[in-house]
Amino acid sequence: MSILNQLNSVPMYAICGGIIAFVAVVCVIFLVRAYRTGKAIGMDTTKMKRTIISSATFSLLPSVGILLGVIALSGSLGTPWPWLRLSVIGALHYETQVAQAAAEQVGLSTLSAAEMTPGAFSTIALLMSICIIWGMVMSVFLNKKYTKKLTADKKSGKPGFGDMAMTAMFIGLVSTYMGRYIGGFVSENGLFTFNGDYIPLIVLAVSALVMAGFVYLIEKKKQAWVDSFSIAGSMIAGMLAAVLAGLL
Amino acid sequence: MEEDKKTAVWDSYTRKTHVIGRIVSIITLIMLVGAPFLIGGMLGAYPDLGAVGKGFLSVGLVWLVSSIAEFLIYTPMLGAGGGYLAFITGNLINMKIPCAVNARDMVGAKTGTPENEIISTISIATSSLVTILVLAIGVLLMVPLQPILQSEVLQPAFENVVPALFGAMAYKYYRKNMKIAALPLVVMSLLFILVPSLTGSTSFMIIPSGAIAIGVAYLLFKKKNAAGSKDGNTQES
Repeated sequence: MSILNQLNSVPMYAICGGIIAFVAVVCVIFLVRAYRTGKAIGMDTTKMKRTIISSATFSLLPSVGILLGVIALSGSLGTPWPWLRLSVIGALHYETQVAQAAAEQVGLSTLSAAEMTPGAFSTIALLMSICIIWGMVMSVFLNKKYTKKLTADKKSGKPGFGDMAMTAMFIGLVSTYMGRYIGGFVSENGLFTFNGDYIPLIVLAVSALVMAGFVYLIEKKKQAWVDSFSIAGSMIAGMLAAVLAGLL
Repeated sequence: MEEDKKTAVWDSYTRKTHVIGRIVSIITLIMLVGAPFLIGGMLGAYPDLGAVGKGFLSVGLVWLVSSIAEFLIYTPMLGAGGGYLAFITGNLINMKIPCAVNARDMVGAKTGTPENEIISTISIATSSLVTILVLAIGVLLMVPLQPILQSEVLQPAFENVVPALFGAMAYKYYRKNMKIAALPLVVMSLLFILVPSLTGSTSFMIIPSGAIAIGVAYLLFKKKNAAGSKDGNTQES
């Protein structure tokens, strides 16, 4: 039996699928508890339903992108392990990078099925787990203290900078990626050569323009219902633009 | 009386969220770390702990620092329940954070309030369930889907999911906060132009970029407050 056959065997699917099913149940528990509590404390159920719809539509396309990460890793690690890692805890940008680094640590020249052995796989899998668990470990020990402190600061009537800081942090996140795409185009193939990958910039522009159209519909034409689909719609347009730009 | 009841419901919810959050995080941790040993036993080769240790020192320490920063930065955005869930389910930067921030803004919830906590938990739980579902369907239909998803024509689309997401988010956030956005955008663009190798550390560059944005926001906040109190004093006199 080849290594890939072993990594794609029924017991592997059972182990990984079992963990994913557990996390899915956890998500359902958190969702139901939050919805019920929101109702009990008098929150508008329409707002909560809109949150569910917008979050679901929002997550569809990035999830398909993540599925591609599973496909990319399945050639060397089999399907069940990348399926587990990208459904639970993993991050698209992280998994390939760490799997590659872990493969080098166990003596493989590259992450590939041709060089993979059972021992190398179990070592890579453990290293991938150990590298990424720390956010969860921090949550176990510090989430309660940290969120209590944040709530206490809010109640104490200290200046209401919290919301502005969170918005600013998010703007910082978006700006980092925008800067990266601009830098990629300008200097990817040498400083100021302006012949790097331009498609992300086209995608950014198209997606932003379509979002501007949605905002116009919401604010000027009072079509509030489109808000739940505005991000997904803008993303589809941006991704279509990438396909068209790729054909040029 | 009604308010007391709501407060009691909320306190009980928060308390139980921490209990459930901690228990499920610990169970998930045990399963994730235990799975490689279980699989190793099944394949007849346990993990090489020496190689894991060396590997952790060479690649894991960076992620340890990154995880601490992510926890400190994102937990205030996510709240207690959302925080536990997001760190269990992953994909924070490319999905959970934008998703929760978008939901929060759509309903106008404020950081640190019960409404924010509920909305962000609902948002992250829904988002995680969608990912789990899409991936499960994708894995089930891997054979027929693979040629479509990996077709050369569609590759640029899937390689650009993140720019598509951030283009839309940038318009939403920049239009109302151009003063906050200008400096981090210029600084980040210059850095990535002048030091192209930084592309490999994009997720770490979020920290200085966020710090610049928060610094500018704080100055604007102070300025606005000072102007407000000046106006108040003028009116009083």
